[in-house]
Amino acid sequence: MPRKFGQDIIRRWKENPVITSEDIPFKCHDMYNAGCIKIDGEYLLLITIEKLDGRPAIFRARSEDGLFFEIEREPFIASSTDVDFKEYEEMGVLDARITALNDEFYIVYLAMGRHGIVLVLGKTKDFKEFERMEVVSQPDTKAGALFPRKINGRFALLEKPRYGGSIWIAYSNDLLTWGAREVVLTPRAGFWDQGRIGCAVPPMETEAGWLLFYYGVKKTSAGTITKIGAAILDKEDPAKVINRSIIPILSPRKLYERIGDLNNVVFSTGAILEDTGEIKLYYGAADNCICLGTTTLSEIIDFCKNDLEAF
Amino acid sequence: MVRKIGRDFLYRYEENPILTAEDIPFRCNTVFNGSPVKYEGEYLILFRVEGLQGYSFFALARSRKGFFYKVDEKPVMLPAKKGKFAKYEERGIEDPRITFMDGVYYILFTAASAFGPMIEIAKTEDFKKYERIALVSSPGNKDGVLFPEKIKGKYARLDRPIGNDIGSIWISYSDDLIYWGHSKAVITPRPGYWDSYRIGASVPPIKTDKGWLEIYHGVRMTASGPIYHAGSVLLDLEDPSKIVARCDEPILSPRENYERIGDVNNVVFACGAIVEEDRTIKVYYGSADTSICMAMGDLDELIERTYNG
Repeated sequence: MPRKFGQDIIRRWKENPVITSEDIPFKCHDMYNAGCIKIDGEYLLLITIEKLDGRPAIFRARSEDGLFFEIEREPFIASSTDVDFKEYEEMGVLDARITALNDEFYIVYLAMGRHGIVLVLGKTKDFKEFERMEVVSQPDTKAGALFPRKINGRFALLEKPRYGGSIWIAYSNDLLTWGAREVVLTPRAGFWDQGRIGCAVPPMETEAGWLLFYYGVKKTSAGTITKIGAAILDKEDPAKVINRSIIPILSPRKLYERIGDLNNVVFSTGAILEDTGEIKLYYGAADNCICLGTTTLSEIIDFCKNDLEAF
Repeated sequence: MVRKIGRDFLYRYEENPILTAEDIPFRCNTVFNGSPVKYEGEYLILFRVEGLQGYSFFALARSRKGFFYKVDEKPVMLPAKKGKFAKYEERGIEDPRITFMDGVYYILFTAASAFGPMIEIAKTEDFKKYERIALVSSPGNKDGVLFPEKIKGKYARLDRPIGNDIGSIWISYSDDLIYWGHSKAVITPRPGYWDSYRIGASVPPIKTDKGWLEIYHGVRMTASGPIYHAGSVLLDLEDPSKIVARCDEPILSPRENYERIGDVNNVVFACGAIVEEDRTIKVYYGSADTSICMAMGDLDELIERTYNG
């Protein structure tokens, strides 16, 4: 995976895409994004697949090497029929972001219904059974991701309310009721992330602070361009931004990122930090396929701090 | 105060408006959207003043009988200039709604900033000292009202987030007024009706034997802008996310010149009401974002009318 001059900080796997609709064992429209986790050496993706009825649901995919995946036929999370959730999920569920916390795996996903888009929090011990816990936002809120530990005694969640297009943090004592909100990152006028931004990958704790991969959207006369950037947030007060990359780390350039149901999109909801320090960033391209890009922890931290390629 | 046939359910106080910019002892642009309360034998209205610079803050008006008001010399709540709230109030504070509970007057209001409108809670016990408690919503939310008692042991509020470009009324619960959740959509706009575009809670819920009476505002969008009416709905006493009955017709609509003409035309926007011992309900409302008015009705008649749809 040699890095080419003038290309992106994130290096694309040369065999991209990792998963296309050819790999899905049933008929579907397209696929968006994948949350991911590595458990006992096995790579597990939670892929959002838009079924032929037009509603997205969340499916498991498994791999031994992180490159070749087997996708399951039955959804892991589909629109709920439970009376408490039904009207909030009736138009589909998508964008699962996985956080390992207290020996369990918490999943924040988007639910679409007649009242708009809300965040739902659930959990699983083994990715066999999934337990819905609560709707944890009001509409329209997207891009929800739980921090992997309590911060100053409270659970913390990143979210993107539609109004203002910024990334916010909310805190909770019980994971069910949330408050003490503060704004974390806002769109930057004139930049690639000028339209709206949201958390991509759930924050990873590093020595430098919380490493946040986020997506940024620019509006053009022909639609939107969605790219991925990086920032480092203060460990004990993540509303404090320590570093923020000036330039994106991944931009749509390849045909599979340019052309699909939603053109010019690279969008991630998960990454895996390997023991070697390598970061595997799984990203959705053009709402059409799942791709893999890599970097290393030290490289990305160094980049956030220096950002020398911006001028 | 003669009620005319073919006019609104609520009848207007004949000396309306009760407060205009002329009544304010300092320069301002307009006054509107005030919440009334009876305190130590006086009627008080905590209301929104839009300053000449364009952002809003709160002033207090006092009256012995509830008709002729005198406004305190100075504003009582200004946008925070320092501390954690300053960033989220830099474009002003708006639309206070008072709820009395356990000896405390809670004030829910809208904090305005570049990040968008958010709901904030403050409290006072004496209308001298006001203390901010917390910001309690994401941005893009307005029209927060607190229920006057706990429901199944939890504080409850109504508010108005926007989802799918639809402004509906939601309910949320809290143990401590700071962390909120268990949110559910309660009342949604009705296509074709006077409340077809957006709705929001107006008056803090009033407990009645038929359910929680909520006087809300409904907006219809027209080619020449929105029209704001007031309507009524009854919510289940035990589970206020359930609607018992909802009135088809508004109870107050912009008709008078002071409601039709102002900074924002065609607006009646209630933020509070007082129920008198004789069961008269006095609804205080901002008119055309320019003055404060009052309209009255018989509470039992209003409940019956709402209950019968």
